[in-house]
Amino acid sequence: MARTSIAVVFAGSGGSGAMTAGAVFLRAAAHAGYYGMMTQLFGAQVRGGESASLVQVSTAPIETQPDCYDLFVALDWEKVEQFAAEIPLDDRSIILADPAEGPVPAGIAKSKGRVVALAMNDPTENKLARALRGKRVNMFAAGCVCALTGIGDGDAKAAIDTIFDGKGADLIAANAAGATLGAQAAPALALDLWLEPPRKAARWLINGNQAVAFGALRGGVRFVGCYPITPATDLVEWLAPHLIKLGGRLVLGEDELASVNMTLGASYGGTPAMTVTSGPGFSLMIETLGLAVAAEIPFVLVDVMRAGPSTGIASKTEQSDINLAIYGGHGDAPRIVLAPVSVADCVNTGEYAVYVAESLQTPVIVLSDQALGQATTVIDPSSDRPAPLRRRVNGVAPGKPFKRYATGGDPITPMPLPGTPQLEWVAEGLTHNEAGLPASGAAAHVAQIEKRAKKIRQFDPGDHWGEVWGDGDVAIIAIGSTIGPAREAAKRLAASGQKVRVIALRVLSPLPMAALGRALDGVRRIVVIEQNHGAQLYHYLLGHKAIPSSAESVARPGPSPFRPLEIASYVV
Amino acid sequence: MTDTLVATPAETPHCVFDAKDFSSGAHPVWCPGCGDYGVLASLERALAKQGRPPHEVVLVSGIGCSSRLPGYMSTYGFHGVHGRALPVATGLKLTRPDLEVIAVGGDGDGYSIGGNHFIHACRRNVDMLYLVMDNRVYGMTKGQPSPTTEADWDSDIAPGGIGLRPFNPLAVAVASGANYVARGFSGDPNGLADLIVDAIRWPGFAFIEVLSPCVTFRPEQREWKKMVRPSAISIEQDRAAATALVLADDGFSMGVLYRGDRAPIAPALKPEISVADVEREFMVAV
Ligand SMILES: Cc1ncc(C[n+]2csc(CCOP(=O)(O)OP(=O)(O)O)c2C)c(N)n1
Ligand code: SF4
Ligand SMILES: [Mg+2]
Repeated sequence: MARTSIAVVFAGSGGSGAMTAGAVFLRAAAHAGYYGMMTQLFGAQVRGGESASLVQVSTAPIETQPDCYDLFVALDWEKVEQFAAEIPLDDRSIILADPAEGPVPAGIAKSKGRVVALAMNDPTENKLARALRGKRVNMFAAGCVCALTGIGDGDAKAAIDTIFDGKGADLIAANAAGATLGAQAAPALALDLWLEPPRKAARWLINGNQAVAFGALRGGVRFVGCYPITPATDLVEWLAPHLIKLGGRLVLGEDELASVNMTLGASYGGTPAMTVTSGPGFSLMIETLGLAVAAEIPFVLVDVMRAGPSTGIASKTEQSDINLAIYGGHGDAPRIVLAPVSVADCVNTGEYAVYVAESLQTPVIVLSDQALGQATTVIDPSSDRPAPLRRRVNGVAPGKPFKRYATGGDPITPMPLPGTPQLEWVAEGLTHNEAGLPASGAAAHVAQIEKRAKKIRQFDPGDHWGEVWGDGDVAIIAIGSTIGPAREAAKRLAASGQKVRVIALRVLSPLPMAALGRALDGVRRIVVIEQNHGAQLYHYLLGHKAIPSSAESVARPGPSPFRPLEIASYVV
Repeated sequence: MTDTLVATPAETPHCVFDAKDFSSGAHPVWCPGCGDYGVLASLERALAKQGRPPHEVVLVSGIGCSSRLPGYMSTYGFHGVHGRALPVATGLKLTRPDLEVIAVGGDGDGYSIGGNHFIHACRRNVDMLYLVMDNRVYGMTKGQPSPTTEADWDSDIAPGGIGLRPFNPLAVAVASGANYVARGFSGDPNGLADLIVDAIRWPGFAFIEVLSPCVTFRPEQREWKKMVRPSAISIEQDRAAATALVLADDGFSMGVLYRGDRAPIAPALKPEISVADVEREFMVAV
């Protein structure tokens, strides 16, 4: 019987090409019309160590890691066992391995999955010859898995053409030949892994980091100040060449203090600007975040969260910067915090963040996480864009001196661009009067704090506040990469007769109280799910009385992703 | 190759301005006699001479007595956090090359908390001026030793002296790649104004270290006016020679030390693609 989805692992030592095998399978599936998602696991070595690509392909969009993998393809067994804990397998899993690579290691074999022998290497060839010929085992494996799932050789070939574009016709032909050999070996395995035919449509292949970056470009960002940090580096590496071609600029600062201040400088000059970082860099940027609040300078700060505190686990996910994003900094410094609700939504949230920052003249933090950022996903093209909002640069009330920080009326006061005659003003981080001159009296302090608070208070995100799926009387509240598994859990519970609604917050701060209240209407039980030890989201919601004290908290640290089964077994 | 400091040939300004056109009229918080008044006066004169209108100039600063300066001028300004004036100025100038961007601040702001940015701003060589009012003390926090303070200067926080050799900003600037390096004195507003005009006109990152006494916490600095030697440094085009010269100097020779020929960082290119072109990269046809 054909299935609707499959979860496949390609694993091997450094140089085995496990990542490329996964990439070919995912892209071939997208060509064939399927949805899919790929994430990656790396060993401890910085470069060239063992790795695994985890690929799911389905007839419906995928937003979660699976409970269990259906197929584990070992390109070799060197040190691959170290991933055992992170790759759930069970007795229904199939382990495809070349007997020439030796026995299945205990850590993998203990799953009791069915081991299926497949000669991927040419036995007459020695290691040296194989090294010279290049890595083709991975193409053999990718071709074989495509054939096993019913994805045609033409789709595999198209994927290889794109992935190896520019590497030369010889290499492309050799890789395609490898994939064809793999496909030819598939029927003899007699495995029942065929996928139902997909609903074909042109789709996007994109990861969450690219999606946020692309959204920001759509929103008008043309300056990025940044400093490399995993797992945000690939975002800025993708952005740099695109920004240059778009007439913008990315500047590598000497540290995050420089990056965020460069970003503010560019924004002051009128260019929508963004900085991109992860936990440790975000911590360094906090003082300047307060400056942007006080001086009312818009900018977007993308935090691709990783496991903390301190340097934590650089390459792995967690949702533990919620407090830092909402509260980080000294003094009363209200800001906007957004969190994309899926990889696909990273595009829209990225774009929306720019509009909100520009229109409110305030920092907007986009809280992404490694699990979203580095998940390469097949999504429907993002065409439903947020309505553009712009910075108010004109409409100054007459009179001298120019009151850049005028109080009493609309808290969003015009911010003339430098170069405009007669409207000179100083962006001021000290408590200031309406004209922007330093002032240490109580009246100015209170008035300016209230001005900035009012901007945030009157911000109305409309439909952007969040998303609700389902209408059960049990509600799961989640953000970011935990939404996907929560939705999957809810679907399964619904299938077994228990209706569960999932509420995802896109606007974390200011808390959309009214919209959240409506979303919770008729709910009898609330479960707040988040990936950090301290239950940061739960306490935040409780503190605002957005949820009753009877609400339950499921909070545990990363980096292991929430899987649908874990959530479903808690909620049931 | 060396030659001596000569006055820059006067250029006809675009418009005619007076120094007071550059004053905001706000009353400075500075102590009477503070050297920073002289720097403010010099900047106003220099900008009037330079001939660009106030709205085309942006003064960027950090935190300190000296960093208050942007509020006293009629130009655009950005008074940010302690030590970060240079990155702000960098981001601004790179995106708005049409503006005259000038970063100002103190020795604490620029050489200690912002020291890393100083090095990298010199390296980056963005076309702007950085002017440091060096009083060899943290004035605003009431008298602690800064990176340029003499090793034996006694203070509450470091009784008997900090015991460290002072930092040499000019040598660091030359070594790090600044394209124009000079030293001025706040007690000579005309000389300093000429230096500022010269520095603004020179392409790339121009750095002027200005001796600007803190009469409150370093009253002995009132003597500086007797110690400085105007136009005493020669202009070097060779970095090694400039470094040797400044390391041998007692810190009271004024004038231009170094003028380099590095091209400043280029402005952003004209757009070649549109966002729609970027979008197509994600598309997978079926
Ligand atoms: C992050 C931070 N640390 C410390 C301070 C306190 N602080 C304000 S000004 C200053 C030193 C200023 O010295 P300098 O730059 O030499 O300026 P001056 O007052 O001497 O002109 C310090 C330490 C601060 N404002 N911010
Ligand atoms: S404390 Fe020193 S530096 Fe500050 S204003 Fe007074 S004299 Fe000037
Ligand atoms: Mg000082």
